[in-house]
Amino acid sequence: MKKIEKRALICLVLVFALLAGLALFLVRFLVYGAQWAAFPANRHLYASTGTLAVGRVLDRDGDVLSWVDESGTRQYYANAMVRAATLHAVGDPAGAIGTSALAAFADLLSGYNLLTGADNPFGQGRDLYLTLDARLNYIAYQALNGKKGAVGVYNYETGEILCMMSSPSFDPADPPDIQEGDERYDGVYLNRFLSSTFVPGSIFKTVTLAAAIEQLPDLFDRTFTCTGSVTIGGETITCPHAHGEMDIGGALASSCNGVFAQLALELGADTLEQYAQKAGLTDRYSVDGISTAAGSLSLEGCTDAQLGWAGVGQHNDLVNPCAMMVWMGAVANGGKAAVPRLILKTEGGLPTLPRLTSRTGRLIETDTAQALADLMARAVEETYGADRFPNMDVCAKSGTAEVGGGKAPSAWFAGFLRNEDAPYAFVVLVEEGGSGADTAGTVAAKVLDALVNGY
Amino acid sequence: MAEFYSALAAWADGVRQLPLAHPELLAWWALLTRLLFPILALAMLVQVIRSLVRAAPRPEVWARLALPNGAVQLLTHWENILGRSDSCDLVLNYPVVSRQHAALIRAEDDSWTVHDLGSKSGTAVNGVPVPPQGAPVAMGDVLSLGGVETVLLPLAEDQVPRAPGGDVKPVSPWGSLLLLTLFQLLAAAHFLVFGPEGANLRCAACLLALTGLMWLYFAAMRCAGRVGFEMETVAFFLSTLSLAVTASSAPAALPKQLAAVILGVILLLVLGVFLRDLGRVRKIRWLMAAGAVGLLSLSLLAGTEKYGAANWISLGGLSFQPSELAKLCYIFAGAATLDRLFRKRNLGLFILLTGLCTGCLALMSDFGTAAIFFVTFLVIAYLRSGDFATLSLICGGAVFGALTLVSIKPYILRRFAAWGHVWEQASGAGFQQTRTMSAAASGGLIGVGPGEGWLHNVAAADTDLVFGMVCEEWGLIIAVLAVLCVLALAVFAVRCCRAGRSSFYTIAACAAASLLVFQLTLNVLGSVDILPLTGVTFPFVSNGGSSMLASWGILAFLKAADTRTGASFAAPAPRLRRPQWSRLNASGKEAAHEKD
Repeated sequence: MKKIEKRALICLVLVFALLAGLALFLVRFLVYGAQWAAFPANRHLYASTGTLAVGRVLDRDGDVLSWVDESGTRQYYANAMVRAATLHAVGDPAGAIGTSALAAFADLLSGYNLLTGADNPFGQGRDLYLTLDARLNYIAYQALNGKKGAVGVYNYETGEILCMMSSPSFDPADPPDIQEGDERYDGVYLNRFLSSTFVPGSIFKTVTLAAAIEQLPDLFDRTFTCTGSVTIGGETITCPHAHGEMDIGGALASSCNGVFAQLALELGADTLEQYAQKAGLTDRYSVDGISTAAGSLSLEGCTDAQLGWAGVGQHNDLVNPCAMMVWMGAVANGGKAAVPRLILKTEGGLPTLPRLTSRTGRLIETDTAQALADLMARAVEETYGADRFPNMDVCAKSGTAEVGGGKAPSAWFAGFLRNEDAPYAFVVLVEEGGSGADTAGTVAAKVLDALVNGY
Repeated sequence: MAEFYSALAAWADGVRQLPLAHPELLAWWALLTRLLFPILALAMLVQVIRSLVRAAPRPEVWARLALPNGAVQLLTHWENILGRSDSCDLVLNYPVVSRQHAALIRAEDDSWTVHDLGSKSGTAVNGVPVPPQGAPVAMGDVLSLGGVETVLLPLAEDQVPRAPGGDVKPVSPWGSLLLLTLFQLLAAAHFLVFGPEGANLRCAACLLALTGLMWLYFAAMRCAGRVGFEMETVAFFLSTLSLAVTASSAPAALPKQLAAVILGVILLLVLGVFLRDLGRVRKIRWLMAAGAVGLLSLSLLAGTEKYGAANWISLGGLSFQPSELAKLCYIFAGAATLDRLFRKRNLGLFILLTGLCTGCLALMSDFGTAAIFFVTFLVIAYLRSGDFATLSLICGGAVFGALTLVSIKPYILRRFAAWGHVWEQASGAGFQQTRTMSAAASGGLIGVGPGEGWLHNVAAADTDLVFGMVCEEWGLIIAVLAVLCVLALAVFAVRCCRAGRSSFYTIAACAAASLLVFQLTLNVLGSVDILPLTGVTFPFVSNGGSSMLASWGILAFLKAADTRTGASFAAPAPRLRRPQWSRLNASGKEAAHEKD
């Protein structure tokens, strides 16, 4: 019997196994409980259609963008164009836009708390204030004028995203019946700003230039001559017209493909990749928990010509608009920028911890950033027109990215303000928009004008 | 009665109208009860769990053995091993005595038998060498172990039949009983007011009937002089949760579930009383082995499939799972093949029985239950043989068998493919687990209230996913308490080993506890994606008659191991024939010589 008594301890092994598993469950319950409760199948929080049935979404000024009425139906802002302009930030009734506040921040909206779970007897749901200004979204949407694309503006010191707009969009109060393959709604459930990557075109020259400033000590003493085309590795890289003789600043201002293709060749594929990575363009950011899409630069085994094209943002280059905006913010801010965020605060229910601004790593050296910013400011003066941006110390770069497939090029305009009271970085993408400086530049000018100068 | 019923219905209707007039009143009442449930559960269970976990029954004394040095040792078990080794029940530190020398075994009629365990120097009773089948030892007989002479003596007249030491009494049941009653009344009231339309009276009535059954059981046991009720309190608490869960998910099945509890209590009593007599147990062990195999092959031949496992039998509108009852038979047979325990380590027949059982279950695709049988086998086999090497070999064989099965039927793995990443397959293979976790989180610590959840709309919510349902409707505190209750039973079983009468009771209790714990592990951790979802039931709590019946039956094995004074009806206090013994004691020597 004594032996059996000792052997019986094996039963305790099973007991401890279950205790350990239970402890693991409890830890997960504590950590992920809010997310589990925010799962769209949860009938305590969602209507059977998948609509979150609790919580209000507001913009930074307190404009209520979405709420639930007495009958339990989710309602959206009164103005139809504001509804469409904030669709990707706020969310659709079916919960199809996974990066929207109603889906991604459902755990904050639900009013979940550990004690009473999802069923809060003291009123369901909380108020979630976004960092966005719905007015800027509205202006951006209007400026895009039905074209597909994305607009983003953020404060590179605090990380607050002030404008985040993705097009195509639709009215969440009256969702259209979207058929598979309908061109008008191509990728409508994706927030292009956060979740897509695009060919960057000439805005990528900022990266090539940052590398050249550091790697080629005589860069600023060089003189370049553009004849309209240059042959690299048997292929011709062309410019729209012959830019003639110029220094590096002139090359950026006129966005000379020939000069930047040759610089890329001189730097080499490894260096170019390394700088793109350092710039954060091949990484993902976590925007309040929403992971952005990662860009890419596939230069493995590329020819000299392909490397040249990659240096001017063509070939296989892809960037995410949000990452591009942060890169601009880092150039503006001396090398490090705030990581963008969307949640200003939550109200109602239990108090939450204050939201802290986190910063990126060093995306660019301070001296290099200073030099690059000056060159970008010169580009605005010489090419884009500083008078389009009143009261703003603008540094910017445009891009006109060839996308192939018989489509017109994508128009880009990315940059930042150096004003102390307006520390904003921005990015504008207009698909099939044609000239970057014209189309995208105009959108940027309208949004920034509203932001900096008011109405 | 009819008048009372209609009055009650009218009252319930009146209360149902209240929210129209005072919605906030009812909301406050609901919140208050939601807060009260976990407090009541904590108050009643913490004490019970602590009592179970801390129980330290003092060994009972069955006889004494006088040693050559004049010392008198107590025999505290029905099976005692004598030898030089420290692991023996009675250590005889003489060089001539083998490490494990002899086994001294008490039978039901208070007669003793000695078996030689292959000692070097031999064993003799009154000078006659013990034959291989053992020899009887009467009180006063001289038992010689390789020349070391000992004398078997009855208890002295004034001796307490308990080993010395502090007496830890079972906790008084009345406090817990009252709290549990209050818990049930509150739950009944909640269902009466908020319950499913048209079935609210039935829900309340079934819960009240359970309260009645509980009081009847406690009163009857108390009248019979029993004092230990921790296990029954746990079982009645879990059964209450079961009825509540059933009321929420399938109100129509509620009377059936209540009937299962009643039958379960009857089974507990019958089996418990049957287990009192080891002779009876030994006699029917072959029947039980045949029963286990028979039940499983029956469901293999005639079973119909539900939720992916073909382990259901339908008889005249009632469907049941024979594999649940087979668990009882299996523990019975596994623990009872014991009379040769100390001489033969042969597990052959038991391995054969296990192979047949798990084989049948694997063919039914009921891998959860097969795993439960296998773990129970490992526990029983280890307790019986202590042989790690053989068991490792068997485990290796089982792994090999499982791999072979998977390579023959690769689709089996698909059922477990979502394990670890259910959220990525939330509308596919992870459907049930994601819903379970979401609903569980929704409940928070205190739950959304009985009958207020939605998880019951998911398939098998009240059986395989019942942990999630309890979390959602009753809250995390009660769900965790329910798990801890069952764990406390297992700790109790282990603690009882010290005072175990016969190895049968000890092994059966440990096997029963291990079975419950492992089954609970698969159920709880499977439903929340820490283990693969295998579809086994939560003992006592899951909706289902067979499972409820089996859980109460298994409790009998634990009751039988509870040797605290007067605690358990299944382990009555020893009826020692003391007057006769004392006579023998006085003239022990002479009597022995006369026999010669």
